Order: sequence, then structure tokens, then C-alpha cells
Amino acid sequence: MTTQQFLVSSWSWDGAAVVFSALAMLAYVWRFGVNGRMWYLLAAVGAFLLSRISPLNTLAAGYLFSAHMLEHILLLLIVPALTLMSLPRQVSLPWGRSLPAHSLMAWLAGVSAMWLWHARPLCNAAVSSRLVSALQIGSLLGLGAIFWRPILAPRETERMSPPGAVFYLFSACVACSVLGILITFSPVKVCPIYLQPPNDNQAVLELIQVGWGITPEKDQQIGGLLMWVPMCLVYLSAIVAQLARWFAQPLAGPQPAERGSS
Amino acid sequence: MNADTIPSAITRLLTPAQRQHWELAWLSSVDHKRIGILYMVTGLVFFVAAGLEALLIRLQLAVPNNHLVSPDTYNWLFTMHGTTMIFLVAMPVLFGIANYVLPLQIGARDMAFPRLNAFGFWLVPFGGILLHFSFLAGGPPAVGWFAYAPLSETPYSSQPGVDYWAVSLLVLGIGSVSAGINFIVTILTQRAPEMSLRRLPLFSWMIFVNSFLVILALPILNAGLVMLLIDRLLQGRFFLPFGGGSAIMWQHIFWAFGHPEVYIVAIPAFAILSEVIPVFSRKPIFGYEFVAVSTVVIVLLSLLVWAHHMFTVGLGHTVDLFFVAASVLIAVPTGVKLFNWSATMVGGRVRFTTAMLFCIAALLQFLIGGLTGVSHAIAPLDWQTKNSYYLVAHFHNVFVGLIVFAILGGLYYWFPKMSGRMLSERIGKWTFWLMTIGFNLTFMIQHLLGLSGMPRRVFTYPDLPGWGAMNLISTIGAFFMAAASILFVWNVVTSLFRGKVAGENPWNAWTLEWATSSPPPHENFDALPPIRSRRPLWDVAHPERPDPVVPLGGTLDAFRPDRNKAGVLTFIISEAGFFGVLMLAYLFYNATPTSGPGWHQLDVPKTFIFSVCLFVSSFTIWRSEVALRSGRTAKMIGWLTVTILLGGIFMVGQGLEYWHLFRSGVSIGLDLFAGTFFTLTGFHGLHVCAGLLGLLVVLGVALCGGVKNREMPALGPVGYYWHFVDVVWVFVFSIVYLWPLLR
Repeated sequence: MTTQQFLVSSWSWDGAAVVFSALAMLAYVWRFGVNGRMWYLLAAVGAFLLSRISPLNTLAAGYLFSAHMLEHILLLLIVPALTLMSLPRQVSLPWGRSLPAHSLMAWLAGVSAMWLWHARPLCNAAVSSRLVSALQIGSLLGLGAIFWRPILAPRETERMSPPGAVFYLFSACVACSVLGILITFSPVKVCPIYLQPPNDNQAVLELIQVGWGITPEKDQQIGGLLMWVPMCLVYLSAIVAQLARWFAQPLAGPQPAERGSS
Repeated sequence: MNADTIPSAITRLLTPAQRQHWELAWLSSVDHKRIGILYMVTGLVFFVAAGLEALLIRLQLAVPNNHLVSPDTYNWLFTMHGTTMIFLVAMPVLFGIANYVLPLQIGARDMAFPRLNAFGFWLVPFGGILLHFSFLAGGPPAVGWFAYAPLSETPYSSQPGVDYWAVSLLVLGIGSVSAGINFIVTILTQRAPEMSLRRLPLFSWMIFVNSFLVILALPILNAGLVMLLIDRLLQGRFFLPFGGGSAIMWQHIFWAFGHPEVYIVAIPAFAILSEVIPVFSRKPIFGYEFVAVSTVVIVLLSLLVWAHHMFTVGLGHTVDLFFVAASVLIAVPTGVKLFNWSATMVGGRVRFTTAMLFCIAALLQFLIGGLTGVSHAIAPLDWQTKNSYYLVAHFHNVFVGLIVFAILGGLYYWFPKMSGRMLSERIGKWTFWLMTIGFNLTFMIQHLLGLSGMPRRVFTYPDLPGWGAMNLISTIGAFFMAAASILFVWNVVTSLFRGKVAGENPWNAWTLEWATSSPPPHENFDALPPIRSRRPLWDVAHPERPDPVVPLGGTLDAFRPDRNKAGVLTFIISEAGFFGVLMLAYLFYNATPTSGPGWHQLDVPKTFIFSVCLFVSSFTIWRSEVALRSGRTAKMIGWLTVTILLGGIFMVGQGLEYWHLFRSGVSIGLDLFAGTFFTLTGFHGLHVCAGLLGLLVVLGVALCGGVKNREMPALGPVGYYWHFVDVVWVFVFSIVYLWPLLR
């Protein structure tokens, strides 16, 4: 099997994901109508489907830990962020005064989602059991939305102040980097189930190990590095956006009286 | 030289009463201006030492097969040269300039913590003396400024030189962190009322952002130094491969600090350029926001990419690939800055003063140093050139070409403010040309030397075609630079006595430090001009066309936290970095369970009970604060006493655990488990003791009637620190005691 054949042939049909995406889009149009921000939702749906039905999902389902990590990044960071950005600016998010809206809770939600799903039993179970896998997808999307809420809430007033957001995002970057560093350099397997890939499709296995030259050790390294470097770059991009927002911030409220007129 | 001009040059900053004892007035000062000058003078003293070492190195390398110095001498020469130039010259001088300028620029009277400021300064001479004391104690360190393990370990460097090196850097690191905390809190709490964060001059903004890098990066080094010292003094084995440790771990720790360190000294240099270039171009900086934001990006990226210093270690293609990509990214925010400075000059009425000349030269040299830096981010190229003079040329282009040139530019710019007199422009121009020509003679040619294969860190070289000539040119250049340095010092000394009187604002500059007399009075300002834009003095001078008003965006721009709480919180951020490294080391070294005595000796249930005491003490101190706010002093003292008792009980528990372990033969040098366990829990215990001391002081003050109007400024900050100590224990307990249960 060549890479090209693999990319063409290994799309998987996940009815639930497609129905869910279609419902999400319908709900969006029904609630907000067709508007310019819908492109963000289309991008979110694209990223979601990329993780569910593309060859990436085939790889993540037992072959490559690193592909599984890429899915995590898509589901936890990219899809929820794009979804929040797709909402029209006047929308007020629900549960504004509840606990998950608190920035500390939101931070913990985002960071613990990454840490908990890489505890060995949970990581293994997410690959072997369909139920746990569905639970994982749902929790990543939900916790991701909670995490991004203080940064990307549609209404300006529901967001954190930009310097606060910089700390929020940077500390999340550090927390994920630490896990990424541990995974990259750990001599033990984080997710041992990837040591026994499904042997129903020998061609895929051969392509990965011989064609791409990815050994299980390298696979785990790539997984850790994905979490360490590109994931931090996502946070870093958000930090730049926050700072841009700060310096571009127009006068909020009446300007205080200035001292000593010249 | 007139007799009474001597004191007047040195005492102009002093009040009449202090002039009686001017030596003491300088040495015991807590005034940020005098401390700033002390930093710079100390830096100059060590610059002479490190400069002489550099000249010896260049003399040794002037001709092939030279035996002026022995290989061992050569090793300590380049070790001491590098360590001194970075930790005792670049950092103190830049901290000194920031110390002097930053409070003035934001319209403050002094730093937020003047005594901490003096403490931070005095650690510099202390650390410098410790480092140089090694000359009297068996010879200076000869392991490079990076002290790679296992060369820096006892079996290969048995003399105490490396111990002095490590302790000295630990001392200097603590000083730097305290300075970083002080800068952050000063910006946050001491700004003039109208000086919002978005109105900060770029110099102050960049020092502010850079200080976060200082408090995040230095603790990483400190943790590594502590581990190295445990290896060397207590028979640990963190970095000894044959003891199960990892020499690569030292490189990771060192470069996780070392890469940010480059920016710790580069960003203040950028800050100077961002101040000097606009003033002498007679234009506001082009794209303030881009310079400000790109600084933050540089700071954050720099913490992420240290592995590019380790391409030659053999981390594997996978790791290399990611770090190539991330490292190349740094060129973007840095390039943004270069464009902004250049665009500032375009169309301006550029005045080529010495300060401006140095800054333009810094910009150009940094362009070269930056581009060769990007070439090192490409792993295959790096493998070829890493251990050659090409790298030496690269980092000297950054450290001298950018940083020293920017420092000189900054000193020519601010010397009139500090002394009240102008430096001679005539000598200045001589200094500039000697320095620039000398620098390029010395280092540009080293690119070629490196590309033709001359290795660095080797005391001599064979007589290969061209090498002798190129090295000789390099050595001649070094003496040009030495001459320039002597001229500079001469200029400073003579101008102090005979320089033209500067007046308040000799450069027609726009920031607040120029709105007061030169040198400024002890309290800095009599009255501040109105601040509405980033160039308040421009607005005063040109009321008909002032700068656009930078809006005050409500609560955020007015953000002014409590001084003590902000200080403790920044300290906690720094400490979290320190513990983070120790915990990562614990997880790394204990990833696979070891045979031999170890975790099985720990008494998990008993420690859990003692841990509960510590956790409960977080609750009791919170109750104590609540009681204080509701005005019930007796109740507050009661809860505080309970907190101290609970903390004490926890420490007793830790003592019992240690006693039990010692009795069964588990000591810190036994194996990696014991080493990491005692290091991690020991440092936590030390912090609990520090917290207990703080609480006892608060209790003592409260018992002596220190509570007034339901307020006691010390309780809140000490409470923060206590909570931090507890939270650290949550993590330590989880990974040391609970994690093995899950495996």
C-alpha cells in the first residue's frame, strides 16, 4: 500500500458524527440565520469530521498514538474555539454565573482534559471501547468549550481582560508542555495498547512501520512533541490575538477627566 | 583637578547631610538611582576582569601552535570569560540601567521594594567574589559557562572550582529573581496615576515583559544547580550516567534556562534601541504595538525552543524536526522589530550622535547575528558549525554586536541624566569607530574560520592555510576593542568632572525621565507633566499638535494591585518554576520502578495523616483572614496559632519519615529514588519552614498590637505563600506517594 492509496481508501463512515455535524449546522442556521460568521462553523465542522472520518481516525484507532494526539488537539482546542468564534457577537452564553464560567474552573477543565485522558487505563480504554471513545470525544468538545469560553465568548463583557487572558493561556501552555515533555522523554509507554495494533489490515501496518518508518518509540515521541510544540503554538496564537485586542481596544466607557489641562 | 570637584562629581546625587559620609551614603543606599549606578560600576569592574581574560584568549590564539597559556589555563579562561560576561557584566549593567531609568520613566519615586532592590544588587558582588574566590581554593572552574555533565561532576572536576561556580550562580540567580520581581511590581503598583499600562514607554514595557522571563527562567537554572551541587557534595547521581543518572538531563535543564537567558539580556538591549532610535530620528517609534506585542511573543517562544541548542546531542530526527520549526519562528517577531526600528529612521531627521551611532551599529550587527542564528536553527547546518568558530562569531554578534553596543548607546544617552554632564562626543565618536572596526575585525572573520573548520574550545590550532592570518586579524581587532573600552572609561571619568552641563533634557527626548533635573533629586520629581500619550514631553513642547491620546480603557488600565500581594504572587510564580523542574526530574528518574530500597520504605498512611494537617492549615489561615476582616483580633490570633501548630505537626511528620529512612539506610546518595525524594521533599520542607517563620513573625506582630483598623498588611501575602506551600505538597504527595499505587 502506498501513502496515496492509504489516503484514498481509509476513510471511515461514522454516521453519528455526520448526523451530529448536520444537526449542529441546522441548529445554527435556525437560531442565527445564515451570516458571515458561519464560515467559522464550517471550519469547525470540517475539523471535527477530519478527526472522525478521515484517514486520521483510522490511524488513531489503534495504529498511532501520535494520530490520536492530533485528534485530541483538534477536538479540545480547534473545534470548540472555532465554534465559539462562529457565534454572532451579540449572543450571550448560558450559565454565565455558574461554576464552569469561572476562569479558574475553565482553566482546570481544559488542562485536566488533556492530563486525564492520558492516564494509562483511560488512554487504553478510549481505543478499545467504543463507549469510552464516544465519552472521550464528547468530553473533549465540552471541556474545550468551557476552556475557551473566557477567551472567546462572543460578548466582549463576558471575556477576560487581555493581560489576564495572556496568563490564562500561557499557564495552560506550560501545563500541557509539561505533559508533552514527559510523554516525549518517558522511557515507559503512555498508551501500551498502541504496541498491539489491530492486525486485520497488515498493509496499513506495513505502510506505517516500513513506509513511514514510524516505530512505537518514535510514535510516542511525535505524540509528546505535538502536545509540547504545536499545541503551545495554538495558545501562543491566541495570546497574540488577545494582545492585539488589547492594543486595539477602543475607549470603553467615558474617559476619566485628565489632570492639568495645558 | 580641583580638590572640591572630586566630591561634587560623586556626591551630586546626595543630600547635604549625606555628603559628610558619602562612601557610606553610597554603600548603604536604597535609592534606585544610586543602586542602578552601583550595578553599572560593579558590571564595569567585572568587565575589566572578563575583558582581560578575553585578551589572553586572543593572544594565545594569535599564532598557531602557541604555548602562551597551558590547555588547562585556556579552559578556565574561556569558562570565566563566558560566565563573568553574562552573569556579572551583561545582566548587572542592564539591570542597573533599568533600575535607574524605569522608575523615572513611569513617574515613580522609587522601586516598589527599595530594600529588596539593595539586596538584589549586593548579591552581585557577593556572587562575583564567590566565583573568583575559586582562584584561591584549588583553581577556577574549567568546564565552560554551560558546565556540561559529566565533565562538571566530581570524577572529572574534583577541585572545588565547579562548586564555587554553582554556588555563585545560585546566589546571582536569586539576586536576578528578586530584581525581576521588583521590576514587575514597580510597573504594576508605582506608576504615575495617568501612566496606564498602554501608555508605558517601550523601554519600560519591555523591561516589564522581560522580567517575567527572568522570574521564569532563572529558577530552572537554580534547580539544576542545586541538583549539580547535590551530585558533587552529597554523592548524588542526577547527572552521572554510570550512577543511573542522565547527563542529557543537565543539558535540558541548562538550555531550558540558557535559551531564555539570551533573551533576558537581549530584550533590555532591544528596549534601549526602541528608546534611542526614535529620539534621534525625531519621530515616534514606527508601530509601537508591533514592537510591544512582538516582545511578548519572543519571551513566550524563547521558553519553548531550547532543544535547538542540543541538535548535536542526538535527540533524534523527530525531536529535531519540531524544534527546527519552532526555532525558525522566533525570526518572525525579531524581524518585526528590525523593520520597526528601520522604518522609524526612514524619513526622520536622523541625528548621528554617539548614542545613535551605537544603536544603528547594534541594529546592523544584530541583523548578522540574527541571520546566523536562524542558520543554527536548521539542524543539519547546526551539526556542521556548532563546534566551530562560526558559532563563536554568531553569539558574539548577539552578545557584543547587539547587547554591548546597545548598552554603550544607552549609556551615552542616559549618562547626562545620571551625572548632569554630557559625555564628550569627540571621544565618543573615536570610541564608536574603534569599537565597531575592532569588533568586526575580531568576529566577522571568525565566520570564515569556523566554516573552514576551526573548532572552538580548543587551546591552540595547527598551522593550516589561512588560519594563522585570520586569527591574527581577530586578535588585532580584540585590541582595538580594548582601546575603545579604555577610551570609554576615560570619557566617563573626564566628563564627570569637566563635561558640558547637560540640563534637564539635552536630547529633546519625550519620556518622563527627562522632565526632572539632571541628576534627579532624591524624590525624582517635584511635579509631573500631564500624561496622555506615550510621549508626554512632546505634548508639553508641542501643545498645538500633540500625540494622539492613548485612551484609558476603564478598570484594566488603572490596574494597581496591592504591592505586597503582587510581590508575593510573582515570587510564587518563580518558585512554581523551581518546584516544577524538581518534580519533572522526580517523574523522569522514577519512571521505571527501581529495585533496591526505595518507595516501599515510605509510610503512605502516616504521611497522609500529616499531609491532612498541612491541608487543613490552608483552611485555618483563611479563617484567620476572615476573622481579621470582621475585626475579631483574638479569633484571628487563635486561627493563626492553629495554622502554625498544624504546620509544625507536618514538619514533625516529615522529620519522622526522614528518621525512619535514615535508620533503614536510605540516604540521599543511595540511588536516584533517594536523591530525587530527598531533594523534592527537602526543598518543600525548607519552604514550609520559611512559611512558618513568616507566620511566626505575623503572629508576633499581631500579639504586639500590630492590627489596626481591621488591617494587617502582612497577613494576606504570608497567607498566599502558605497556600502555595500547601498546593506544592498536593503535587508532591500525589507524585511521590500516590502515583506508585496506581502503577
